Amino acid sequence: MIISNIGFSSLFLGLISSLVVFSCSVANVKKNSLSLSKIIYQFLTTQFFFVIIGFFILLYSFIISDFSNETVYNNSHSTKPIFYKITGLWGNHEGSLLLWLLVLTSFVLFFFIDSKNEPKKFRLYTIIFHQIIVIGFFIFILKTSNPFDTLYPIPQEGLGLNPILQDPALAIHPPILYVGYVGTSIIFASALGAMVTGYVNKFWAKNLKKWILISWTFLTGGILLGSIWAYYELGWGGFWFWDPVENISLMPWLSLTALLHCVSTLEKRDLLKNWSIILSIVTFMLSVTGTFLVRSGILNSVHTFANDPTRGIYILIFLFVLIFISFVIFFIFESKNLENKKEIFFLSKETSVLINNWFMMYFLSVVLIGTVYPIFLDVITSEKISVGPPFYNKLLIPFLIPFFLFMSVGPSMSWIKTNFRFKIAFIYYFLTTFTATILTIYYLSEKDLLLIILIFSLVFLFIKTVTNFFEKNTNYAQNLSHLGFAMLMLSILFNSISSTEIIKNIKVGESFNSKNERITFKKIITEEEKNYSSIIGFFEIKNDENKTIKLNPEIRIYNQPVIATSEAAIKTTFFKDRFITINLIKDEQLFNVRYQNKPFMIWIWISTMVIIFGGTIAIFSKKKNYI
Amino acid sequence: MAKKKILILILLLINIFGNCYSENKPYSKLENDISKNLRCLICQGQSIYDSNSEFALSMRVYIRDQIDSGYSESQIYNMLVKKYGQWIVYDPGYSKKTFLLWFIPLLFFLLGGAIIYLRIYKSRKL
Repeated sequence: MIISNIGFSSLFLGLISSLVVFSCSVANVKKNSLSLSKIIYQFLTTQFFFVIIGFFILLYSFIISDFSNETVYNNSHSTKPIFYKITGLWGNHEGSLLLWLLVLTSFVLFFFIDSKNEPKKFRLYTIIFHQIIVIGFFIFILKTSNPFDTLYPIPQEGLGLNPILQDPALAIHPPILYVGYVGTSIIFASALGAMVTGYVNKFWAKNLKKWILISWTFLTGGILLGSIWAYYELGWGGFWFWDPVENISLMPWLSLTALLHCVSTLEKRDLLKNWSIILSIVTFMLSVTGTFLVRSGILNSVHTFANDPTRGIYILIFLFVLIFISFVIFFIFESKNLENKKEIFFLSKETSVLINNWFMMYFLSVVLIGTVYPIFLDVITSEKISVGPPFYNKLLIPFLIPFFLFMSVGPSMSWIKTNFRFKIAFIYYFLTTFTATILTIYYLSEKDLLLIILIFSLVFLFIKTVTNFFEKNTNYAQNLSHLGFAMLMLSILFNSISSTEIIKNIKVGESFNSKNERITFKKIITEEEKNYSSIIGFFEIKNDENKTIKLNPEIRIYNQPVIATSEAAIKTTFFKDRFITINLIKDEQLFNVRYQNKPFMIWIWISTMVIIFGGTIAIFSKKKNYI
Repeated sequence: MAKKKILILILLLINIFGNCYSENKPYSKLENDISKNLRCLICQGQSIYDSNSEFALSMRVYIRDQIDSGYSESQIYNMLVKKYGQWIVYDPGYSKKTFLLWFIPLLFFLLGGAIIYLRIYKSRKL
């Protein structure tokens, strides 16, 4: 009880500190001193300090299961393993916002320390704009989603955490994703700051790139963890469903990727100033819109766990304020950033960056329209439609072909102008790609012309990217991420083409065939765990060579809250995953068994890790031209 | 023994609607493909294929019956749309209402291409 009050007061003091920072920064702009006022630094630290205190108090309440705290009561239970007690903190709205705030305040402090060599006014304005966001989130937490609300009389037991959230991948998914999301706030504030002070130039670009890379790498990691979780936990063997909440994490990723490429053009050639600014603003807007759409509960998604309309309205208003501020600033100061219209040659890296941005914006518009169109249609005509995989496949797949081709040649272009000379190597590339494609098509026995062309362009991208490693002047970090992307697309493609499955209702002791394998349902046993009871099925899979694989899928029935989940049993090998789930059905001896063969599944995760690895190298790289 | 009781209760709850399930034949590829394109109306963002709810299970039986009676994939979708509305199919289809849905992204693409073309073309003249 007392401890919750301390937590609340701590957050309140945090708000006060951020108001102090804000007003001091505004006052400091007028002063002519060369350095920033000490007070700003001190209060940025206190602001961070108070949020940390709040965070640890909530963490403590979760660990000791203090059910006088409403958030703990709603989302925890005393029988939960300690690991999930801790991660339960961000498995709910209030706690996850506190985590948002923690990352937000730590980033602005980090920015302050890191930007010592940059112009004073730019730093000040960036902090001012960033503090607007911080203050907005402080008020949001304190007014609508206080994590320290108390209950009296104190309940004996909590309501528990949704069992499908009790998973290691999902436990660390929010913090990683949030670093990515929240990192875009620095990009946003810095873009506005640079605009006001006329600092949109190569120095700004160079410093901003670090922040973009951090956000981008973490966002990629967050999306990866979310997909892994969906694959293991949701129990039907997919990893991406074009679900609105997934789309929402993909949108900032797309615009960040565009920005990452665009900002390097600004750094090298002093071009695309306004466009970089617009992208920086858009990226952050997409992050906030994402929070709004997820939290307001207007979305029908498998990932929507808790929502409350009043919160949605607050975020909506906040979003409009931010959009308004950025628009005003953009139109007032746009002329300050006049770039001398340099010539852009057709065969140049500038053009390839523009083409990258072109496609990224197209993909973004597909995902954005696909996500929000049904909402608007519902509001205007009260007619409900669903926009699912068929829509995205139709609008994305044909455009991936030129995208892959451009992506294969883009990195080999030089800045300003590329002197195109015909090389024997081109014939070599073409022949290798051709042979590889034919082999692939033969192996997959694929007859769809569109897919064949897609495979061709993708194989070309893959081969070209691999050979780039052996050329001089290759930027390894960038090439690694590109290679990861090519591998990812290849694995997704092969996986979706050649996955097989069989769904059947069988009794214990029966068996069935899938291709050249025989699956036998040996027995079931029941077990009692601390917070759930489980029914475990024992399966044996025998292939031609009489090798046996044992898989034990589970049905778990959690006690708090009472929910049944189906835990997949997955046998991962280098080339394919065997995936099996069971479900109960009417006849007590009959089980619904779903057995899937999923080729290249592990490669989807590996290639995404390669992308992330490329980003990480770039963050720590001393060499400045890492893109 | 409260846990055991809960367990039994849940087993019963889950099993009420499973009656239609005595047939012991695996789902065909067509059945799975159709069920992937249909929304489970009582779930949060899951398809019939993904879900194990009663609705999804009875829908599975419906799909099988319709296929057995010789209806084609698109006929089955049409019948379901008539009954439950456009919400049930994941393919929004082409109609007056979805015209903008398809058109806006393509417009974006054309517009982007035009801007880039003009930028490069114009810069030549400087």
